[in-house]
Amino acid sequence: MTAPRRLRKELVDLQESSLKSFRDIKADDDNLLRWTGLIVPDNPPYNKGAFRIEINFPAEYPFKPPKISFKTKIYHPNIDEKGQVCLPIISTENWKPATRTDQVVQALIALINDPEPEHPLRAELAEEFLKDKKKFVKNAEDYTRKHSEKRPAD
Amino acid sequence: MSGGGEEHEQQQQKAPLPGVSSASTSSAAAALQGGGEATTAGAGTGTGAAGTVGAGTAGTGGGNGRATPEMKRSAVRNLIQRYFHQLQSGCGNAQCSNANCASSGKVAPMTPNEVAARALQLLSQDAQLCNSPTPSLAPAANSPHQDVDMLSPNDSSSSSSSSSSSTSTITSASTTTTTSTQSQSQPQKRPPMLIDMLQLTTPATTTTAATDADTVAVAESEPDAEAEPETSETPPATSSGNDSGARTPTLTPAEFLDADTLEALYEECVAADSYDRLQSAICHVFSSVERLSKSFRCRPGQERRHLLAKSTKTLNKEQLRQLEGEHDKDEDSTQRVETRTETETVHEYRNEDAELNETENTHGDNDSDDVEDEEDEDEPMDPSQHELNDKFLHRGIKIDFLGLRRIKRLLFGAPCQVISENLTNSVIQLTELIRSLSYRQETWETFSWEQAIHCLVICFDMATNTTANNSVTDMEYLDRVLPRLCHATATIPVKAQARLALIWGEYCPDQLQSLLSSCQQQITLLVLLNEEGVRENAHIISLTKVLKIVFYANILASVLERPSCRLPLQEVVESEAAAAAAAAANEEGEDLFAYSSLQQPHMPKFAEDPLEKFLKVSFIDCRSPLVPLEEFYNEALSEHIQMHQDYLSYKTLAMESELGSSHTNYFCFMLYAFILTPATKVDALYYDCRMRMYSERYSSLYSILHNYGQDGQEGARPDLKLTVRRDQLINDALIGLELVAMSNPKDLKKQLVVEFVGEQGIDEGGVSKEFFQLIVEEIFNPAFGMFVQEEETNNMWFNATPFENGAQFTLIGIIIGLAIYNNVILAVNFPMVVYRKLMGYRGTFYDLSDWSPTLYKSLNDMLDYQGHDMEEVFEQTFKISYSNVFGELVEHELVPHGSEVLVGQHNKRLFVNLYSDFLLNVNIQQQFNAFRKGFEMVTDESPLKLLFRPEEIEKLVCGSREFDFVELEHSTEYEGGYTEETQIVQDFWSIVHAMPHESKRKLLEFTTGSDRVPVGGLKCLRLMITRHGPDSDRLPTSHTCFNVLLLPEYSSKEKLEERLLKAINYSKGFGML
Repeated sequence: MTAPRRLRKELVDLQESSLKSFRDIKADDDNLLRWTGLIVPDNPPYNKGAFRIEINFPAEYPFKPPKISFKTKIYHPNIDEKGQVCLPIISTENWKPATRTDQVVQALIALINDPEPEHPLRAELAEEFLKDKKKFVKNAEDYTRKHSEKRPAD
Repeated sequence: MSGGGEEHEQQQQKAPLPGVSSASTSSAAAALQGGGEATTAGAGTGTGAAGTVGAGTAGTGGGNGRATPEMKRSAVRNLIQRYFHQLQSGCGNAQCSNANCASSGKVAPMTPNEVAARALQLLSQDAQLCNSPTPSLAPAANSPHQDVDMLSPNDSSSSSSSSSSSTSTITSASTTTTTSTQSQSQPQKRPPMLIDMLQLTTPATTTTAATDADTVAVAESEPDAEAEPETSETPPATSSGNDSGARTPTLTPAEFLDADTLEALYEECVAADSYDRLQSAICHVFSSVERLSKSFRCRPGQERRHLLAKSTKTLNKEQLRQLEGEHDKDEDSTQRVETRTETETVHEYRNEDAELNETENTHGDNDSDDVEDEEDEDEPMDPSQHELNDKFLHRGIKIDFLGLRRIKRLLFGAPCQVISENLTNSVIQLTELIRSLSYRQETWETFSWEQAIHCLVICFDMATNTTANNSVTDMEYLDRVLPRLCHATATIPVKAQARLALIWGEYCPDQLQSLLSSCQQQITLLVLLNEEGVRENAHIISLTKVLKIVFYANILASVLERPSCRLPLQEVVESEAAAAAAAAANEEGEDLFAYSSLQQPHMPKFAEDPLEKFLKVSFIDCRSPLVPLEEFYNEALSEHIQMHQDYLSYKTLAMESELGSSHTNYFCFMLYAFILTPATKVDALYYDCRMRMYSERYSSLYSILHNYGQDGQEGARPDLKLTVRRDQLINDALIGLELVAMSNPKDLKKQLVVEFVGEQGIDEGGVSKEFFQLIVEEIFNPAFGMFVQEEETNNMWFNATPFENGAQFTLIGIIIGLAIYNNVILAVNFPMVVYRKLMGYRGTFYDLSDWSPTLYKSLNDMLDYQGHDMEEVFEQTFKISYSNVFGELVEHELVPHGSEVLVGQHNKRLFVNLYSDFLLNVNIQQQFNAFRKGFEMVTDESPLKLLFRPEEIEKLVCGSREFDFVELEHSTEYEGGYTEETQIVQDFWSIVHAMPHESKRKLLEFTTGSDRVPVGGLKCLRLMITRHGPDSDRLPTSHTCFNVLLLPEYSSKEKLEERLLKAINYSKGFGML
């Protein structure tokens, strides 16, 4: 199984660090460049469920940034209906090869917990978030209940 | 002073004749007289006239002198020097019994000037010479001039260092009282003049002649004080100033000037409200190469500061090297040649040298500048010319630029206009002098151009230094002096020009811009004044030549890319590996050799740039030049150059170099391609293409005639005909061109004629345009598998794992070449590195910036990372991975066992270089070589490489990427009853201007067959709109080969728009509409 040495190490490190909010991390059996994991947010309205994400590393990693997409549907201003997420730390302009995946995941979790309606991917959700927070929270909770995965027992 | 020199000259001529020793005295007297007159005249009027006369006579004198063969002259010179050394330093033999040898102890202590006089005497007496001259002095005999400088350290030390208290100086002059010691010290200054005169008889020096000769007879102290202006600032100035007009040959004006003295003098003059003294001082110094070359020298220590300031700005190794001292260079480069592996020894050497230099410099306070100069110059003459040149080129220069600029502001700001007037005249005189030096062949070898360069640098700096208030006088000086300066500069030897480029690049990068624009203005002005004679105008030519020096100075002043892209990677790796041991030392060495290992394909010998060869840099080394290279284009010149004439000169030169005949004086702007705009260069290329197409055509017509009647034998076609089927385009083209390439590659240079099977349409250019368009479209389609599209940039790149063999890459290379050759623009989207590689260079790390910006940025981040935990943070090995065209992960080890080598601080640069090299060169080598082979088949022998830089080639191939339809409208012509006033024409343009980019692109493609803008912009398309009958339902049509749009006179704007859009959206194929 070929993969950049750093990636293998990062995978092991992440798995061993046993983060509460990011679990169940594995790489594809036939492709070490594709990882999946479960985001377990702490803040409402997303703290009622868990969200499966996929991290795709380019062959040139770490010289090109990874891409993250949500496999679980989520009601979030910064994540579009296809699951694409706009995370500054992994944008091509900001990417630094020294950035590690756990930092990327931390940034992602922070974004999930605290949406940034100033840079939305879904403008209508951002507007709702800003103008009618209650409605937004309710919608998001409903959505989470309906679509998200079960949170791990512990 | 130079009267003494003349005396020498006479002496020399007479010397071979025995028994005429008395002649020397009489001639000295003569010189005294003549020189005296010159002085009075020169100083009195302050104009160039007297000086020029002096130059004339002096020149004639020199000419007569030439009756004695050159060899005899130098033999005499050498003899004098040997006597001189013997008298001064002795032969080194303690047992020496020669009464005229210092080693014998029988020589009375003498001043250098006395020694010189005595040496002359000995020569005429044919006195005994010791056999073994002091070894240290032996080499100096080869270079009499430098030798001379060494003899009189005091002379320039006094000029450059106010604090100078050099061992044998005449600082006693500070006390102005006349003492016998002073009168003795005065002659000390003589020897340099004496021997200088052997080499240059200048009008300026004749001016001083009187005093010089005088002092032999009457030793007086006043000039002494004058010559020492810093130690005694006021008295000498007064004396010389007041009397300059009077016919008193005993007075000498200043021998040199520097910022402080001049300022002091100026202050005095202001106080006295009389500028006579200042004027005469300026006239005196600025009109003489010798005196000016001693002026404005910086004091010891000053120059170093200057250098340091510079080196922080640009990390040019050449300059760092200079900082570290000159000795370094020779020793460590020779060292490397001998024992490359012994890097540590080199290192030691370097340290030693650095120390040595340190001590030298601390000495600098006591010693004079010239002593330092000496150390540079009198090093053993290496037999290898190369090193010698290097030596000459890379010495430091000691001009006090800051002071000079202060002075310029002062002088040009002076209330008295006559000052700058005088200055201008003097400098003009000076330039004449330098020119006359250049024309005299014998001075080429013997004359130390350093002096002339020193003067030129000063004069140019005064001309271009715009920090001064840009007053009228300022411009006056510029206008009058610059052309002459350029004229003089254009005539000096290439070596000296190279030196000038180095000095400019290193010391005056801030001046390059204004020097460039001044020259450009002059050229433009001259062109506009005489549009016809651009090519014969000597001033334009010399300005162009100077611009070339500026061009190289500009490159030298910029950050150079290292390792050079001209270097094969193998050597880089070696040097990098070696660099682990002695970091900086090695790379430099590689750079030295980089040039010789460079393979420059199809660059004819005569077209090689000697400056480039001397300086070992080219524009390709420099990614972001200090002054953008586009600023070197001169529009006016390019427009009026009459390229066909220039091309003829080019051809003549080419023919001559082929025949090996001597060079005529043809000047060819094509060899100065930097000044030509791309559009003009395209013209040149066009003539070249046509020329060869016609010559191919002619020879094949001849062979047809020749073979006529021979059975069944079909002669070669006069053109390159391709018959292709639309549905088998690639295959047919491939087979057709492959056949030609294999059987007769020369046919590729014929005019291309394409025929689509089953379609009529005579190829006047339009059909082949479409052919190119279609074939490019197909071949670059990622689905075709030859090229992949980079996601990030949309650039096309070679598929590293292609299914096809190399032939198709050769084909596309031929296509690109043919497109250039046939003046067709292609819609290809290569990153710039492809064009650099096509020109024979290697892709380097920098090329990643437009190949994959993200990758480039990341690697730069990595290089910038300074932490020592790099191995842990990056966890990057020398094994990299990439995904192939199928999306599979492929791994590659950049070095053997790369997966075990971690990237750390010590090898990060190597990693980056190897990585870039792998991506840009190694990985696609096979494909690219095939591609380039095809390109070369068409373009070899063409001046493509001479004329164009890679960026320009890119424009040539794909045209510019922006559409300026306003420009197009202005250049459009009308026919068939339309004018720009016609309603439908006005409607047409308002529709077009409102179109989105994509529609504009389509319209362009529809009318011209290409959606790219030609070089020079849309105005070069020469679009023609022709009336195509009255209102009808017909669609607009076009003749793409002539860029003609046929437009029926539709009844309304709406209809026009509808028809037009329909036409451009449904066009494909030829002659269908």
